Amino acid sequence: MTVDYETAARELIEARESGKPCPPLRGRLIPDEDIDSAYLVQQAQVRQWLRRGHRRVGAKIGLTSAAVQASLGVYQPDFGVLTEAMAVPDGVEVPCGRLLQPRVEAEIAFVLGADLPDERITTADLIRAVDHLLPAIEIVDSRIAGWDIAIVDTIADNASSGLFVLGTTPRRLADVDLRLAGMVLEQAGEPVSVGAAAACLGNPLHALAWLARTLARSADPLRAGDVVLSGALGPLVPVTPGAAYEARISGLGSVRTCFAKEVEE
Amino acid sequence: MIGPDIAGIAGQLVAAADRGVAIGQLAAETGLDVDAAYAVQAELVRRRLDRGEQLVGLKMGLTSRAKMAQVGVDEVIWGRLTDRMRVADGGTVSVGDFIHPRVEPEVAFLLDRQPEPGEPVAEFATAVRAVAPAIELIDSRYANFSFSLPDVIADNTSAGAFVVGPWCSVPEGLDNLGVLLEIDGQVTQVGSTAAILGDPRRAFDEGVRLAGQHGVRLHAGWVFLAGAATAAVALRPGAHVRAVVEKLGTASLRAAA
Repeated sequence: MTVDYETAARELIEARESGKPCPPLRGRLIPDEDIDSAYLVQQAQVRQWLRRGHRRVGAKIGLTSAAVQASLGVYQPDFGVLTEAMAVPDGVEVPCGRLLQPRVEAEIAFVLGADLPDERITTADLIRAVDHLLPAIEIVDSRIAGWDIAIVDTIADNASSGLFVLGTTPRRLADVDLRLAGMVLEQAGEPVSVGAAAACLGNPLHALAWLARTLARSADPLRAGDVVLSGALGPLVPVTPGAAYEARISGLGSVRTCFAKEVEE
Repeated sequence: MIGPDIAGIAGQLVAAADRGVAIGQLAAETGLDVDAAYAVQAELVRRRLDRGEQLVGLKMGLTSRAKMAQVGVDEVIWGRLTDRMRVADGGTVSVGDFIHPRVEPEVAFLLDRQPEPGEPVAEFATAVRAVAPAIELIDSRYANFSFSLPDVIADNTSAGAFVVGPWCSVPEGLDNLGVLLEIDGQVTQVGSTAAILGDPRRAFDEGVRLAGQHGVRLHAGWVFLAGAATAAVALRPGAHVRAVVEKLGTASLRAAA
């Protein structure tokens, strides 16, 4: 199969813009296990967003939980690109029409104070490079109908990115137990997802290390100012229209998002 | 109308535990309701006390949404802890002493005084002297861990054994401490104390209230197990089990090979 990256990218962008999901790409536009081609499809979309004037502000790490990896039969994370257009302020209502089939999950956002151009790095280099942490809610979404995704589908679809919300009180690495920090995501005061930092590859810094090394081998290494979403600290939750969610992470504070009642036609 | 045979049911459950052989559910065929089930529990624990065991605390069950949904109920339940159930931190249990034991990470409270039934959360700090990471070993006397609400209440809420780690003073927030369950050094479950009714202090309130309805008061020096922070995991012979709770530390046990 010759992969036509632009065609596949266009199909995903159309789904994103029309709000109408597309069938899985695997076996149709991308061979089942062809992860490299899937990233090239992702890059073709990102180029399109940048041509339209959007700015790359960081990256998100996905497939960081043992349960999600097992369900997809993969044993490595993946990543997608964040642009400023995906950022929603803390507590500000999200119109449901911007999303197809959103789910929410609580994460840690690393904000970098230094470039990470070298793949030969240690934990100490990462700790020096992290300027501060913020609590985050990632609103993931899939352009693939029914979330029927295999690894190449989600990678091509920018790691199922949707929108993201950052808390507003920066914390230092020293303020947070990156293995044990508890996480609770509440809807109307009821915990709908609980977990801890260790759910993200054992420690979210491991996820950051993987991303830094992976991107150091690419044309776009991580840079000072980048926001990196760690990956989920607990199970993800399908969004109920009209619902408000608050994520609290021990040592990091809280962050909120809420959704409009009606899906816009 | 003749009520269910409280002593007879208690006897069957005690025998199942003593022999280490599971039995079928009893509540449906005997017409056991929740109140009668607590009477069975009181009777079977009384038999253990007659053998020389001491009551040392209370434990909560069904404190997570997931477990409530699993059993199809929306209320928490409570059971009794005796000194025979307590295993030293780092101690060893024998899987063969149980039917199909599972372990789950919890937090334990040490009572400083007798709390009043209905005492509000605001008074919590004055009733609890210390908090600790804990492991509960649960072991249903029913085949396949399959039971109705009255069944599990009668079975002393599946109480088997428990380990309490080092006591420490109560930290400022207990409502969202990260919790890990490690088996042989591998993280197998990840959760938060938020899974315990949103805050383990609510489980304490509920325990005081519900036990009070059955005339049971908690005593100074008692241990209170607040409920599981993650799903339970089957205990295999030879396994080393560790509960790790943010800010509180660890509790561990080993299953003899």
